[in-house]
Formats: sequence, C-alpha cells, structure tokens
Amino acid sequence: MEVSATRFEQMFLTGARCIKDGAVLFVGFHWPMLIARIARRLHAPNIVIVYENGIVEDRLTPILPTSPCDLAAAEQATTCAGSLETLYMWLAAGRVEMTLVEAAIVDRYGNVNTTAVGPYLQPKVRLPGSGGGTELSSLGRDLLLVSASANKRSYPDRVDYITSPGYLSGGGERERLGYKPGTGPKTLVNPLGIFKFDGEGEMYAAGLHAGVTPAEVQSIFVWPIKVAADHTALPEPTDAELDIIRQELAHARKRYYLMPED
Amino acid sequence: MTTGIKPVVSMQEAVRRYVPDGQELLIGGFAFSDPTALAHELIRQQRKRLFIMKTSGGVLVDQLVGAGCVERLLSCHVWNSVGPVAAHCFRRALEQGKPHPIQIEELSYGAFTMALLAGACDLPFMPTTPVQGAGHFTQRTFLPEKFSVVENPFGGGPVCVVPPLKPALGIFHVQRVDPYGNAQMFGPTGEMRYAMAACKKLIVIAEELVDTEVIRERPEATVAPGFMVEAVVIEPWAAHPTDAYGYYYRDLPHHALYGEMTRTEEGFRRYVDEWIVATGNHAGFVAKLGEERVAELLVRKDRWWK
Repeated sequence: MEVSATRFEQMFLTGARCIKDGAVLFVGFHWPMLIARIARRLHAPNIVIVYENGIVEDRLTPILPTSPCDLAAAEQATTCAGSLETLYMWLAAGRVEMTLVEAAIVDRYGNVNTTAVGPYLQPKVRLPGSGGGTELSSLGRDLLLVSASANKRSYPDRVDYITSPGYLSGGGERERLGYKPGTGPKTLVNPLGIFKFDGEGEMYAAGLHAGVTPAEVQSIFVWPIKVAADHTALPEPTDAELDIIRQELAHARKRYYLMPED
Repeated sequence: MTTGIKPVVSMQEAVRRYVPDGQELLIGGFAFSDPTALAHELIRQQRKRLFIMKTSGGVLVDQLVGAGCVERLLSCHVWNSVGPVAAHCFRRALEQGKPHPIQIEELSYGAFTMALLAGACDLPFMPTTPVQGAGHFTQRTFLPEKFSVVENPFGGGPVCVVPPLKPALGIFHVQRVDPYGNAQMFGPTGEMRYAMAACKKLIVIAEELVDTEVIRERPEATVAPGFMVEAVVIEPWAAHPTDAYGYYYRDLPHHALYGEMTRTEEGFRRYVDEWIVATGNHAGFVAKLGEERVAELLVRKDRWWK
C-alpha cells in the first residue's frame, strides 16, 4: 500500500479486532455497523448481528445498510422480529454477548450524549436523541463505544445530557441505582487508539495508534485523562486489512455515508 | 372497534375525517414503513397543533415540524437516517423556535416499546430499561410521570417502570390489508404490533388491498386483526422514501435531496411547494419521482411471497 492508513482507517481495524468470531452482537447506528462488517470480512465471518428493529443478520449482506432500519439488512435474514425481542429478550436477557454503540460525545465516565449540547430546553446544538442507544448502554454486555472524533468538543468532563448511561458519576453509582452487574462501557475506540475503564468507572488510554503520543491523547480530552504506563502500541493494518477497510469505506460512500473529511 | 367490512377512504378523506387540528396521533414506522404520504397530506391540509407520537421521527416528523403542523412531539429519535445528515427542521424548531417553538418529550426506544406494550395490554405499568441517573429519567417536560422507580415486590432492588401509553389515534403503514381490515406486515416489525394495539382508534395505510383468501395464506403476518381496525387507506408507495419490506427499498438519493434542500427554511419551503403541494396527491408525488426511480426501488415485480 503506497499510502499508510489514516487514523480514521486504523480505528476500524482496532474496533474490528475487539470482535470475536462467532459472537452475538448488538450493533447500533453508523460507524459501529461498518466496524462489524469489516470484522466479518477480516476474521469473524460467523458473527450474528442483532438490530433494534428486529433483524438478525448472520452473513455479509451484498449491500451495506445505511442504518439498522435500512431493510438491505433484512435481505435473506434468518429472523425478522421486533423491538421486544431484540431489546429485552435478547439484549436485556444476556443473549447478546457484545454491544457496539456510537458515542458522538462521551465523558470521563463513559456517559454518551446524542441528545443536546447546552441546556435541554434551549439547546445550542440539538442532536437526534437516543433511539435504542439508551438500551444498548443500559443493558449491553461487553459494551464498545465508537467515536470517529479527535476533537475536544467530543470529550467533555461531563456531558450536558446523558443519553446512554455509562458509569454516571463513577464510583459504583451505576450498580447502586439498579443497573445489572456486568453492564456498562468496557471499551472505547477512536482515531487515537483504544480506551478502557478503571474500577471507578473512569476512562483511560490503554493502547495508542502508530504515531500517537500520550501528550496528544491528553490534549483532546477535557479532563486530565490517564494513559496507562503499560499502554500498548496498536498494530497498523496490513496491506490486506487496509484494502478491505478501504473497500468498505468506498462502499459506504456510495451508500451516501458522509465521511469525516466531507 | 367492530367486525365486518371497513371503510376504504382516500388519504385526503382520512385526514379530513380523522385528523382535525390538535389531534393526538401516533404514527407508525421505525425508519422503515414510515407513512410519509400521510405527512404530506397533513401538510397539504395545513393541520395545526398536532400532538405527534412517533418512535423514530425521521424525515416524516421533520417535515411536519418544518411545516408548522406540530405543537407537541413524543419521540425517541429524529434524524435523516441516510448520511446521516441532520433533521434540519427539527433542529431549527428546537434551537431557534422556527417556524414556531415545539414541545418535545423523549423516551428511549425500549421504554417507548414498553409503555406501548403496557397500553396495549391495559396494564398499569411495565418494568423497563434502567435509566435512573440518565437524561431520560431526570429531564421531563409534558409527561412528568414518564418514568418511576418501584421496589421489586419479590425482592431484588429498584425497578424502573413506565406508565401505559394509549394514543387517541394511530395511523400505520402496512404491506397489505383485506376489506375486513386484517392488516399484514412482513419483515421486521419493531414495536408496531404493540403500538397498534395501544391505540384507541387504528387506521392502516396499505400498499395494496387483497382478498381475505390471500391473508389466510400467511396468517402469522397479520399484525392487526380486522376487529382492531377502524378504516383503511390504500396508497402505494406511502412509505417512500423509507422502505417497505418486500415492496421497495429505501430511496437514498431522495433522503439526500431532502437533507440538502432543507438546510435552509427557504429550501424547505421549496421542497414543500415542489414535492408536496404541487404534486396534489401521492400519485402525483410518485409520478414526480419518475418511472426510472420507481423501477430502481421496486424490490420485485411479482410479490415475493407468492
């Protein structure tokens, strides 16, 4: 490959590598769908994906769905059910092993805001709202958050509105309020690398993409984020991996996905 | 709620007869089977002060808000699902109060599903997703009792609950219906089965009217038995630009066109003039889409289940 992977492209590999072959996944809107698709093409052909509207997608669809409700996802599906099945019988009941959700704005404790920036009733920027994102964060096991942003606005100390609950104020508040044990964000991937959560529910950097320094990580988070002393250097995509990532990004663009540079 | 043959009315007549100004109305669909043709007719007849409930608002709710039809909105998500690009009218209403301020209340999709299920089953409440400490729980507007927490009577700590939702009127898109109102959906059904049963009055908009013998071939696909249905509208392509499983795909270029045109208020007015008002009715809208687009989106020339 003549041009090495961008950090945005690396994010897809880092995210995909978190997915185990054969796992049952709950996949939310936008980049998580592309990460799961890339994982399926790279090393996880046997994953089974559940979408909130009721679709079970157990194979590579010929066409990339533009959202979970794009019924391209339902072409030759094995199951078309409804939201009671997906969100409660499968997700809440623990049949889904891993959950992927987009985290446009995410704070220190993994709380995600996709509702409003600024005061709720007088928002500076109004965003879409939760959809099923609240359930994915509230109920999902092995929760992976995905953010394509490396901008400080996306990583405040506390979000203005908790659309998808992480560890709330940290320090065990989530368990005290009655959330199920084992739920809550486990990982975040973004263009800089991979992030985990400590015993207090606080996010820290666990692995960095090639060329990313701890100082750079600290410069995009509003709070003084910790970088693990033993943080790993994440592997760069091989030519074959990068080829698949680029094929899927080109496919996504054809399907009207907006790219970060657009 | 009765048995027997149901009135088949035009979209124009359905809006005139069942949706006066100020109506409380749950609209079906979850970014698929969104009956956008209904929104167009509400805009043509210039409905005002509607209380719209819709799980996934999408382009449909965006248009209603932009056209000034909505006073209150209960939803879990409003965005253009292709791109994704913003639902510009929705944003303008909430950020700048244009064309006029609207009241918004929100539930998560799971909580919305459970509230409708409680309504459908006539239960006093339903346990739901824990959302304590999150925005949906703490931020309340016109439904101050949208969530509560009770102690599990069987032991085991706090349980988040939602009250029943019983919309005065529900209008849903389905694939096909017979003269008795037996309505069938194919593909994923989201919350539609519970949402239909939660509504006090139910109207279905179907892609086609079929004989009861056709319904009998696939009884498991019936989402509303005829006795739940008040009236029927037959309107092909009613869910465009969203998809209707087995009938047509999501129209991506049209979603993109809508997103682009509605960036400004002036652009939105142009969209309404060109695509909604000037087309006169939904057949006119489909004609404007053109034969080529219609042929591209059509899933099968022959219905897939035959």
